[in-house]
This record gives sequence, C-alpha cells and structure tokens, in this order.
Amino acid sequence: MNCLEFKRLALSDPNSGDHGFVRHSKDCPDCLKYVAGVRRMDNDLSRSLDVSMPSDLIARLQLNQEMMEEDAGQQDDFDASTGSGNVVAFQPMRRYAIAACLALSLFVGGFLASGQFSFNQDIGSDYEALLSGVVEHMNEQAVTPIWDANKANKSANTLLASYDGEMKLKFLSNLQFSRICPMGQYKGLHASLETDDGQVTFAYIKGAPVGEMLDAGYEGYVSRVKPVRGGNLIIMSRTNKGLQQANDQLEDAMYWDI
Amino acid sequence: MTDSSNENDQGQVNYDIMDKKRKYALLIEAHSQDLYKYALWLCKDKNMAEDVMQEAFLRAWKSLDSLREAKAAKGWLFTIFRREHARQFERKQFQYQDVEEMDTLADATMGYDDRPEAFALRNALKRLPQDYREPLEMQVLGGFSCDEIATILDISSSAVMTRLFRARKKMRQILGHESAPQLGVVGD
Repeated sequence: MNCLEFKRLALSDPNSGDHGFVRHSKDCPDCLKYVAGVRRMDNDLSRSLDVSMPSDLIARLQLNQEMMEEDAGQQDDFDASTGSGNVVAFQPMRRYAIAACLALSLFVGGFLASGQFSFNQDIGSDYEALLSGVVEHMNEQAVTPIWDANKANKSANTLLASYDGEMKLKFLSNLQFSRICPMGQYKGLHASLETDDGQVTFAYIKGAPVGEMLDAGYEGYVSRVKPVRGGNLIIMSRTNKGLQQANDQLEDAMYWDI
Repeated sequence: MTDSSNENDQGQVNYDIMDKKRKYALLIEAHSQDLYKYALWLCKDKNMAEDVMQEAFLRAWKSLDSLREAKAAKGWLFTIFRREHARQFERKQFQYQDVEEMDTLADATMGYDDRPEAFALRNALKRLPQDYREPLEMQVLGGFSCDEIATILDISSSAVMTRLFRARKKMRQILGHESAPQLGVVGD
C-alpha cells in the first residue's frame, strides 16, 4: 500500500483493520500522523454531537410497549367474547351509540348557546388560543380510548415526569386516559375523567399562566381555563356539574414537587 | 431466565431463545442512548426525536420475533428508526424547515456542546450533501462498520467507502484545514 492508497482508506475507514493499512501506518510516520488527525476529527465530531437522553425516556419506551400489549390482550378478549360473526352485528350498535352521543352533544350545545348559563363569552386571545387548541385536538381525536385507572394514572405520571418534572398528579380513580398531545400551537397533557355527568376532558399546558380563571361556553362545551403554577389547566365538560366535579378533583390531585 | 442462560459459548447474547420482553428490555438498554443521539441529530427537535424514537421502538416490539442475532440488533433498530423518521419527515417537513433556520439557538436548547469549535464541526456536517453525510453520521454516531452501513443504506460497500472518503474530504475543506482539525482551534 502506498501513501496515496493509505490516505484514501484513512478517509473512508480510519479504524480499518486491513493488514496493509496497519503495516503502512507503522512504516510511515507521516501517514500515521495523517490518520491520527482523521481519527481526532471523528472523535471531536462525535463529542460535539453528544447529548444525554431524557432520564425517563427508557421508562416511556417500556410503558408504551406494556400499553400496546395490554391493548392487544383486550382486543383478543373482545374477539374471543364476540366471535367473528358477532363483530359485524356489533357495528350498527356502535353507530347508534355514536349517533346518540352526537344528538346529545347538539342538545347540550344548543342549551348552552341559548344563554341558560351566565358564562363569560368575551374571551381574550390567550384564552381563545388555549381553548381552540384543546378543542381542535379533541375534534381530531374522534375516539378517546378508555383505560383502566391504574394504566391511565401510570401513564399520566410517566408522561408528566418528562413534560413537567415539578407537576404531579395523585391517583385519580376515575382517570380514563392520558397522553401528551399537540393541541393547536401547544403541546400538553390530554386526559379524561369519568364523572357522574359523563366524560370530562382536561388538559395541562405548560407555559405562562393566564391572568385569571375564566369560565366560558366554547364550541358546545362548558369550559374552564385556570391558571396554575407553570401553566394552565383547561377543563372541557358537557355540563356544569361535570366541570365542577372535575375541577374539585383536580384541585385535590394536582400538586407541585418543588 | 438469567442473563448467562441467554449467552452462547462466545458470550454472544442469544436472542433466539430469549423471552420477548427480556429481548425488548435489552434492546432499549443497549441501544437507546445511541439511537437518541442519532434521532436528535436527524430530527433537530427534542420532542420530535422522542416521538419518532418511541414509534420506532413500538414497531421494533411488533416485529421483534424476526430479530435473531444480538449483533444485528443495532443495525436492525436503526433501519426501523430511519424508516419511521422518513415517514414523519414527509408529514412534518414544514416544521422542519422552521427549525433548520434557527439552528444556533436550537443547538443550545437541545443540549449540545455550545463551544464554537463544536458548533463548527456540527455545522460542517450539516453542510455535507446528504449522500455523503448519511454514512458518516452512521459511522461516527452509530459506530457502524462500512459493511453494516452498506446493508442499512442498501448500497454496496465500495459505494459506502467512496461516500465516506468524500464526506471527510469535504468536511476538512469546509473547516478550512488541510491537516485534520483539532478541537480548540477550529474557528479561531
């Protein structure tokens, strides 16, 4: 191997174990210096790209897998209990249930819009952005999964650890779902609670807290935007009672570990 | 099942007889840090890197039964990641361009070394044509051999060697050093 061939290989694979390459580097001090320089550039480049992985990412990777496995198990149970023929028969029932939910939503939305509630309808742009982000996401995600409380709480705490290390959530026995989701221009914790008045969605979005708490009728929902430490809590319910129940529960459950 | 029962005579982990969960845990433990480093560099955004990585690991879990050899695990995982990244990239290309424009700021917030010489090296890598940059990223960030890179990129080994040669040559030109650049003098 001559010097030109050596330098070519040094640039392609500076750690090559090729016999001729190793021998030439021993025999030729200039080439040895050359390959050392290439290796140094590689090491410096590698160091310049060093980053530490978020401490909870491994836990999240494992949690995702456990959830996927649980979901697959539930699907198997469902398939086994219904049988393949019954699944087809089950579909129309689901459609009726969805239609009934939509009708109920329209009724409640109309009721709210008729001015039965004395909510503040003059929403500022900060509030509007938060509410529209949450509603946009809710509309995008037409179906919200319903998990058991243990799974939902475990997920919420794992996700919160990476999203906001200080905010914690005590165990909520009626928590049904939790995930970090994009919500309009924001990204936050999206979760749902089962209340006596149906499912209530809430979102915790990190950032500058809005000035004051605001209750508003928004897109058919009874909503609350509440400033909390380090962000805002947005609660969306179909009824005032559901909103209040969720609010009371979250007030007890949310705390900051600082 | 203990760790030792999963190893053959050469001390090589035998994935073939291993429980799927254990295999997955080992995969995470052994490769998540390298993959995260690669993911962040490719995505240029922490949230997106984490999202793509989580999605890639879920896909890996789904097809974990097809992974037989531990030594092939890293290449296999990086291939899954690259495909997932390509899928996400198609969807989120617009946001990507936004992020690219504010790279100096982004580098610091992503946790990279903020010294000017480190920035110059990253910048030189960024400026390489993609065909040259990809194999170099794999060799430097992933520690892959030329043959492994050839398999991942689905090109010949000699093509990988040529691209690596041109990538390093170009890096040196960009950095303005005839001799190899040294950390501490780049950008002085």
